[in-house]
Amino acid sequence: MRRFYLFGFLLLMGFDTLAQISFKYAGTQALPVEASLAWLLRVFGQPWVYGAIVGYVGAFFTWMALLKHAPIGPAFAASHLEVVSVMLLSVWLFDEHLTVVRVAGAVAIIAGIVCLGFAENSEHAAVPEPVAADS
Amino acid sequence: MPAADTISPLVAGLWLLNIVLDSGGQLAFKAAAGDETAGDGLARWKHMAARPWLWLGVGCYVVEFLVWIAFLSLVPLSEGVLLGSINIVAIMVAGRILFGEKLTRLRIAGIALVTLGVAIVGLGG
Repeated sequence: MRRFYLFGFLLLMGFDTLAQISFKYAGTQALPVEASLAWLLRVFGQPWVYGAIVGYVGAFFTWMALLKHAPIGPAFAASHLEVVSVMLLSVWLFDEHLTVVRVAGAVAIIAGIVCLGFAENSEHAAVPEPVAADS
Repeated sequence: MPAADTISPLVAGLWLLNIVLDSGGQLAFKAAAGDETAGDGLARWKHMAARPWLWLGVGCYVVEFLVWIAFLSLVPLSEGVLLGSINIVAIMVAGRILFGEKLTRLRIAGIALVTLGVAIVGLGG
């Protein structure tokens, strides 16, 4: 069962990452940003926007399947930890830099997400185990 | 800090709009799903489809999709995803205000840390 969760979390992260990378490519290719039909046509006229849709839909169904079985805390955390994979991939794909500021911000955000994951978990696991009767 | 690294009004506006649309969408779905009179199964979906909440949620998400593309085309992706994490905070605060959801100590710590991280990235350029 552990392996099932792990695979599910990685799949979720993969779909989320695909979506964000695709969003970035789609947006970059549709520049300049303007509130116009021309911009919309540029966005939907290249394949990346559909990669983003695939990523979203895939993440949605993976999330739903995971929630049926996995504890919500780790699932919540995993669904937001794509910031890590997206940051690493943007260094490789978009020549971005992991500046001190970004790494510091990411550390705080990830710590926060882990806290929220634990918070969800303790809340949903709050159904008390039947206490063994004192003899 | 070089001027080129500061956040432009357009980027800030798109970021705020993304927060409003994301929270608005989630809350609309919550309102649609939480309707006790909706019944079950297909009848529940019909009930929801006949009311504005579900469609308000869908509308928010469609516009948010476009806003997010525009936002990410203007900032580095590694910075954009970090700034977008503020949505987690916005939805928890909104859930607290509108649905009276509990904010435990661990949740407050999580919210504070995420906010701190977003502030570091946003203000640090």
